[in-house]
Amino acid sequence: MQRLSSITELKTRQAELAGALDNDTPCIVIPTGTCGLAGGAGDLIRIAKREILANGLAGKVRLRITGCHGFCQVEPSVLVEPQRAFYPRVGLEQMKRIVEATSRGDVLTDLLYTDPDTGLPIEKQEDIPFFKHQVRRILAWNEKVDPIRIGDYLAHGGYLALEKVFGAGVPGEVISAVKRSGLRGRGGGGFPTGMKWELLARQTARRGKVLVCNADEGDPGAYMDRSLLEGNPHSILEGMIIGAYATGATEGIIYVRHEYPYAIEHLNIAIKQARQLGLLGKHILGTDFSFDIDIVKGAGAFVCGEETALIRSIEGKMGEPRQRPPFPIQKGIAGKPTAINNVETWANIPVIFRMGAEEFARVGVANNAGTKLFSLVGKIRNTGLIEVPMGMPLKDIVYGIGGGPVGKSKIKAVQTGGPSGGCIPADQFDLTVDYDSLAAAGSIMGSGGMIVMDNNTCMVDVARYFMNFLKDESCGKCFTCRKGTQRMYEILDDITKGKGTLDHLDLLTELALAVKDTTMCGLGQTAANPVLSTLRYFRNEYLNHVLEKRCGAFVCSDLVGAPCQSACALDTEAWRYVAMIEKGDFEEAYQIIRQANPFPSVCARVCDRKCETRCNLAVSGGEAISVRALKRFITDRIDPSIYRQPASLNKRKDAGRVAVVGAGPAGLAAAHYLFLYGHKVTVFDANEEPGGMLVSGIPTYRLPIEVLRKEIASLLDSEHVTLKNNTVLGRDMTIDDLFNEGFKAVFVAIGADKSQRLGLEGETVDGIYSSMEFLKAFNLHGNELAKGHVGVVGGGNSAVDAARVAMRQKDVKSVTLLYRRTCQEMPAYAEEVEAAQEEGIKLETLVSPVKIRYIEAAKAEGVTVETFVEPVQIDAINGHLADIKCVRNRLGDFDSSGRRRPVPMPESDFTINLDTLIVAIGETPDSAPLAAMGLDVDKNGRLRVNTDTLETNRKGVFAGGDLVTGPNTVVDAIAAGKKAAGVIDRYLCGRELAEPPQLKLPDVFVEPAAVGDEEPEDVSRAEPTALPAHMRQKSFAEVELSLTVEQARCEAGRCLRCDLAFTRCKDRDEQTVCASMKEESI
Amino acid sequence: MITLKINGLTVSVEKGTTLLEAAQFLGFPIPTLCHMEGLSPYGACRLCVVEIGEAPKSRLVTSCTYPAEEGLTVRTASTRVLKARKMVLELLLASCPQSKVIQDLASAHGIRQQRFKQEHDDCILCGRCVRMCEEQMMAKAIGFRSRGENRSIGTPFDAKSEVCRQCGGCIYVCPACQLRCTYTEPDKAICGGCANLTPPCAEKEQFDDMMCYMNPCVACEIKKD
Repeated sequence: MQRLSSITELKTRQAELAGALDNDTPCIVIPTGTCGLAGGAGDLIRIAKREILANGLAGKVRLRITGCHGFCQVEPSVLVEPQRAFYPRVGLEQMKRIVEATSRGDVLTDLLYTDPDTGLPIEKQEDIPFFKHQVRRILAWNEKVDPIRIGDYLAHGGYLALEKVFGAGVPGEVISAVKRSGLRGRGGGGFPTGMKWELLARQTARRGKVLVCNADEGDPGAYMDRSLLEGNPHSILEGMIIGAYATGATEGIIYVRHEYPYAIEHLNIAIKQARQLGLLGKHILGTDFSFDIDIVKGAGAFVCGEETALIRSIEGKMGEPRQRPPFPIQKGIAGKPTAINNVETWANIPVIFRMGAEEFARVGVANNAGTKLFSLVGKIRNTGLIEVPMGMPLKDIVYGIGGGPVGKSKIKAVQTGGPSGGCIPADQFDLTVDYDSLAAAGSIMGSGGMIVMDNNTCMVDVARYFMNFLKDESCGKCFTCRKGTQRMYEILDDITKGKGTLDHLDLLTELALAVKDTTMCGLGQTAANPVLSTLRYFRNEYLNHVLEKRCGAFVCSDLVGAPCQSACALDTEAWRYVAMIEKGDFEEAYQIIRQANPFPSVCARVCDRKCETRCNLAVSGGEAISVRALKRFITDRIDPSIYRQPASLNKRKDAGRVAVVGAGPAGLAAAHYLFLYGHKVTVFDANEEPGGMLVSGIPTYRLPIEVLRKEIASLLDSEHVTLKNNTVLGRDMTIDDLFNEGFKAVFVAIGADKSQRLGLEGETVDGIYSSMEFLKAFNLHGNELAKGHVGVVGGGNSAVDAARVAMRQKDVKSVTLLYRRTCQEMPAYAEEVEAAQEEGIKLETLVSPVKIRYIEAAKAEGVTVETFVEPVQIDAINGHLADIKCVRNRLGDFDSSGRRRPVPMPESDFTINLDTLIVAIGETPDSAPLAAMGLDVDKNGRLRVNTDTLETNRKGVFAGGDLVTGPNTVVDAIAAGKKAAGVIDRYLCGRELAEPPQLKLPDVFVEPAAVGDEEPEDVSRAEPTALPAHMRQKSFAEVELSLTVEQARCEAGRCLRCDLAFTRCKDRDEQTVCASMKEESI
Repeated sequence: MITLKINGLTVSVEKGTTLLEAAQFLGFPIPTLCHMEGLSPYGACRLCVVEIGEAPKSRLVTSCTYPAEEGLTVRTASTRVLKARKMVLELLLASCPQSKVIQDLASAHGIRQQRFKQEHDDCILCGRCVRMCEEQMMAKAIGFRSRGENRSIGTPFDAKSEVCRQCGGCIYVCPACQLRCTYTEPDKAICGGCANLTPPCAEKEQFDDMMCYMNPCVACEIKKD
């Protein structure tokens, strides 16, 4: 290109290029940032070129190769202009179709991005939620220009800001404009850019002044600068030329890390082009102003992003900071006054002059003007590069743009500002993202990394990770930074290994504060942030690690052991019985299951299987072992009589009599273990049959009644564990009575079976039942309450149970389940919901009933009522239910739990004609009688107990299960009973009630199966067969069937045997094993 | 002349004077390890921190590197300073328990125990030896290598230095390694003031791996004779 020798020439050249822009011919835009190329954009380009040439489409389709557009999650992506259609994750075959369709001017609807909420394709890129909420002043250029063509940049108005700047001829004006724009340094510190320039302009320097572009982007998970340098290098050059003009700088240096090869390549090309065009070098655009830019490549030390270290690195010395003052603005590179700005700050400068300082400042909040780039990464649905106005609430970024958590997990925190930033917990997501509020929350803006963490992230481990990074990346010059980060890492490492104490937490805080206070540069001063902010917001997790030796996120392997075992509330050694099944020793497997769990057959059917969600196979992206199906396989095959009870202690002299109130899973488990401890137990139950919720709440197609009866019978005997039916606490006896009768301790586990109500008028009419009422009537008495068209309100397991039981009843024509949120958010087990749909149950989500009407009221509102219902209603005193009026919801804002609130849509009400309505929106304990007996009950009706000892406020009275926790899983109830038995035993023996927490690591060595040389075939997870849907209708036969022997052994063989890491050296000849392991590692 | 206030006393000093010098001029003691007269200020040990400015914007800076500023308020022994200094000493003690200088400083600050995992380093990377070699002996035989926890001092590639004149200046200025120079009489390196600290000789085999950078070490050679 010909050199431009005046501003006028620049303008004419620009006008020529802009005029030559072809906006009508369809254009395929392929983003090729590092992310795009890694995703396969290179192949897409080749295919697009080949297709265009082979089919003679050269004049009909254009192709533009650009930098990253931001939506890195769906790379390689393709944008088609002028329709602005966005195709995510484009495959090679699809690329051919896109070229062909684009040449015809068509859009391929099936390849478009689909809205995750509605499932509908979105036609324009601008309407995709990821893009919709952004303000893309800088990033939009990445789509427009080919980074290696200066003509592209010029044609879209690039370098035109120079005209305004040079035209005014007053450098002071430029600085004042930057000041008015309110731009603050985007590198993270937030120092006002205008002020920095003013300081530099004031310096007198005979040897010249230097401008530096800091592109030493080293935070894990941050890549804003890289994408800008790769996608639009000319904007950085333009910014620096303007800066040089304003401050009188003569040299420019771009310090970019060596790890960014594309960025360096594009920068080199851009600088060369700018020099050719006369935009860099001597006498720029024919003026007296001279300025040139060089690239210095950094070796990749994190600390070199710190300005004094960066200066030393540019000077060719070891990259370590020095004490300020003197500040770089006074004495910088080789003693020359130096101003250092971040890549993004430079990219903002042309924007300011293109749109005017006032217009620029219009976006953002007070003292924080403009937009900010973030790289949104981590456990989130849409990862990528985003540009948002300053002051946007964090939740809009995380949930709005980021699309919320992946799968069913829950977002826990966001880490901003890289390793020296802090973690902001989910309940503070209302926080606006700007320099000041982030600092107030204990984090920093940093350069803009945003790492989202969900409940599978352990915050102690996160702090440890960052401290590990910092201890390696600290330059080591100042003692407190070098040793401080090292010592903090050491302590955090101890905590994650279960060796931490409470003193460690205090020491950690003290040390972190000292490091923050006494270190020299920004790295050290912010190094403590990960520790301090996690300690501030997630102290509970630290305490869990230290006191209970548990890692709630199952990350710290030394605390977790085998995840299946530590996930189980009953501490079942799942790995061990799975290993036994693999060996074919089914009886031993049964012993292992039964030892931990008195209800093996029940749990084999209704357990919520936390072991499977935590299975390392599932966590690493595969399919979890079917632990529950394997348990079912064993319990179906093995007769319980083979169980050898542990040597009974029931000849003990100090044995006492214990009363257990409630024969549900918690009560029966407590009774059983108390018996094993050697105590005599009497179990009181309000119903005619023991089993509590197991018998009244769980339908027989899930848990056959004969299986349950057999299991309960094995736990009761006439001598040690006796049962008294039909005895209600509060009606037939009081706690005082029990003590008077000679019971030494009482365990109350009466569960939670009082149904919550919708709170609507007319809820007492006939035809409306609570789910408990409905299920109990059928399970205990065989009464079929559901008739005609049935509606079920709720989304929990009991709602689905009720719906499916209703479906099986004789007089039922249809069943509709009404839930107020989406399927995704249903608390019921997902497979139950699916099974229910297979059985023909309609699912109406996003619907919440607002009004139930009497027939009279329905008539008054002009609703047609089916005739055969009418007489019944009139005769009844309360009237019979006829229909319910519903209103449709839409998803609104995110609440603090990260779920979107259902918001009623106006005028969306519709009516469902119903004969039966079952309300299943949750249960509470019926604890009024307990309160009358002096027990401490909270406002939800739950009994308050000491969580460590299950003690109530009355001496000798303990409580557990749903009564304490509210409706919960069977396995948690059994665990509560098991725990209570231990506590009550210690109480009766006069020992300390609470037990010190113990690390429960695998401690039995089970020989792993021999693995042959051949790679084992990929075997997928064995799912138990289910009864075909047509056979399930109107039948209460058990739906889930058992695995076959081959299936079970094959499934067990898939186990990764996480236990071996802990047991391998213990039980065998230690030396041979260890020696052979050593040899392997050598 | 620059006028500033140190611990409430007004003092006028020449431009370019550091806070440490100004405070020492007034007689306020500030402990230092990496500072040494005749060597350029380095600011590595962080022991000489003082508090400058007014709360709530006050901050800690190393007095050995901070130049006196007009109107500056300095506190050399505020609670914040002492707390930070104690933590620095505790960290030093945890790394280099055998240094008499560090033991004495810790003892003077009332530290009787350190809470970290005991290490037995023989260097705190204060850089006195490096600066001595470069600035006074004009040799540049030794320097810093690597970063973070791997940072160490030595000759390039650990090769025998051709510019080292075996002057022994590096050993002479070392605050941490008197041990090396007592060689055969290790008990002399222990002040005995901190009964809870294990003498390093109990944990390490003689001092084989505690050799200094000089090859051979002059001090050790003399002792042998």
